[in-house]
Amino acid sequence: MKLYKPEVEAQRFWNPYTQAMPRADLDRLHVRKLQTVIEYAYARSPMYRKLLDRHKVRPEQIRTMDDFIKRVPFIDKREILDAQAVRPPFGEALAISEDFFHQRFATSGSTGAPLHIPLTYHSAELWGESWVYVYWAAGLRARHSFYFPFNWGIFAAFWSAYMGVRRLGATVVSGGGLDSKARLRQIEQYRPDVMLATPTYALYLGETARGIGMDLAKTSISHVIVAGEPGGSIPATRQAIEDLWGAKCYELYGIAELGPTNPGCPLQGGVHLCEEWYHALVVDESGHTVPYGEVGEHIVTSYIQDGQPLIKYRTHDLVRWTDQPCGCGTTWLYYPGGVLGRTDHMIIVKGVNVYPSALEALLHRVAGLSEHYELYVDRDAANDFVTVKAEARSEIAEARYGDLGREAEAIFKSVVGVGIDVAVQKPGSLPRYELKAKRFFDHRPAAHRWQLGGRADA
Amino acid sequence: MTRDETLERIRDIQVRVQELRQASDNPAIERTMQLLDLYCHMARWELGDVRAMIPEADARS
Repeated sequence: MKLYKPEVEAQRFWNPYTQAMPRADLDRLHVRKLQTVIEYAYARSPMYRKLLDRHKVRPEQIRTMDDFIKRVPFIDKREILDAQAVRPPFGEALAISEDFFHQRFATSGSTGAPLHIPLTYHSAELWGESWVYVYWAAGLRARHSFYFPFNWGIFAAFWSAYMGVRRLGATVVSGGGLDSKARLRQIEQYRPDVMLATPTYALYLGETARGIGMDLAKTSISHVIVAGEPGGSIPATRQAIEDLWGAKCYELYGIAELGPTNPGCPLQGGVHLCEEWYHALVVDESGHTVPYGEVGEHIVTSYIQDGQPLIKYRTHDLVRWTDQPCGCGTTWLYYPGGVLGRTDHMIIVKGVNVYPSALEALLHRVAGLSEHYELYVDRDAANDFVTVKAEARSEIAEARYGDLGREAEAIFKSVVGVGIDVAVQKPGSLPRYELKAKRFFDHRPAAHRWQLGGRADA
Repeated sequence: MTRDETLERIRDIQVRVQELRQASDNPAIERTMQLLDLYCHMARWELGDVRAMIPEADARS
């Protein structure tokens, strides 16, 4: 007996009805879904009622895609945080009774207060389903087993991937609560088919394996699926992962507060928008939709978040979108190269997102340091690393520079969670700027840099 | 089976499930019927039959 009938298991698409739908029909269906989510949010979320009232928008006025694009305002993380702060944890962003909650997540809050994410059972099922599109396209079925080298914490991270394995009907093998060596031994013991990790951690496991004389290419892993940071659509990184593991590498691009928005294309060069459960626009700095083929900020509406609706949410991710037919056969929008960058700078140290603005804020906690600093970002074989040069205040004796640096390093370690070197400089040693200061120096190889124009190899 | 035939059957099942959910005084059965209602709702969205965000908020019907 099989979970799926053989003729169903052989299907190319998880849901052929929408994955092969002509663009015009998809857009008509989006209008109906957008109307539904706007009506829902307006009726149930005080935050959305206030936002739409402030922009003089009533749900019944959104009759066409043009209405949606021109009349419905964008919303940013800051506004969600403000709405949550009214009555923490969810405040005016909440749209449903807590009876329906299934799980709660939160962001790390490294740039300020953490964003709280309520997930209903309905949302959890559909977060999972959004992962199934990449699983199914990669040829993974109910007979496969999925290894999660992941500590099951409050961050959404790979929880949604787990929900996807449940939705598919496949097997989960948990690597929670173990160190990397123990996880590698578990892979040998349980012989899973698939491993899910950030690209950085997938590569880091390679270093660990070498240390214990283990060849990952000889393990049972036939598929590595990466998420959480760019990599799966960066050819050099993807190739390194495939060579290391002797496996095919696919990716999924998601956002904690929205879920798994973009399953990777089985042809591996980029990601598709999961148009079943999400709508997206790509806009320029002035908020105008850019033509297909152009790069802009990814603006996403979720049809999944019934606990905390998000409509025209600013992701701050830069993508290039295209409606050109994809070789994989789906009609869903395609983003070659995946996420190309951030509208703000971002650094990833050992899998942890590190924002320069957060480091600046933390430097201010060290009383003996001035406001003058520079950040240098570089990369070794598998990780970004950051060095901060910070000027001491003029009244500080040079003999104390070492203590100040160690104090700042300890704050970074405790708040951000990763090691960042701090070199304390004499007052006046760093350049001064009349206008916008240049404080961010990126020495990473082009393939690992995020920039508006797209990566050199994307 | 065609999409329309599939949808017709799902809608029929969903009505029966909702009736049973309302009529049952057994917590286990009520919860199971609530989940069945949810899965019917999801299946209708998957086939483009969009009515509301969740079954309990059928604002447009």
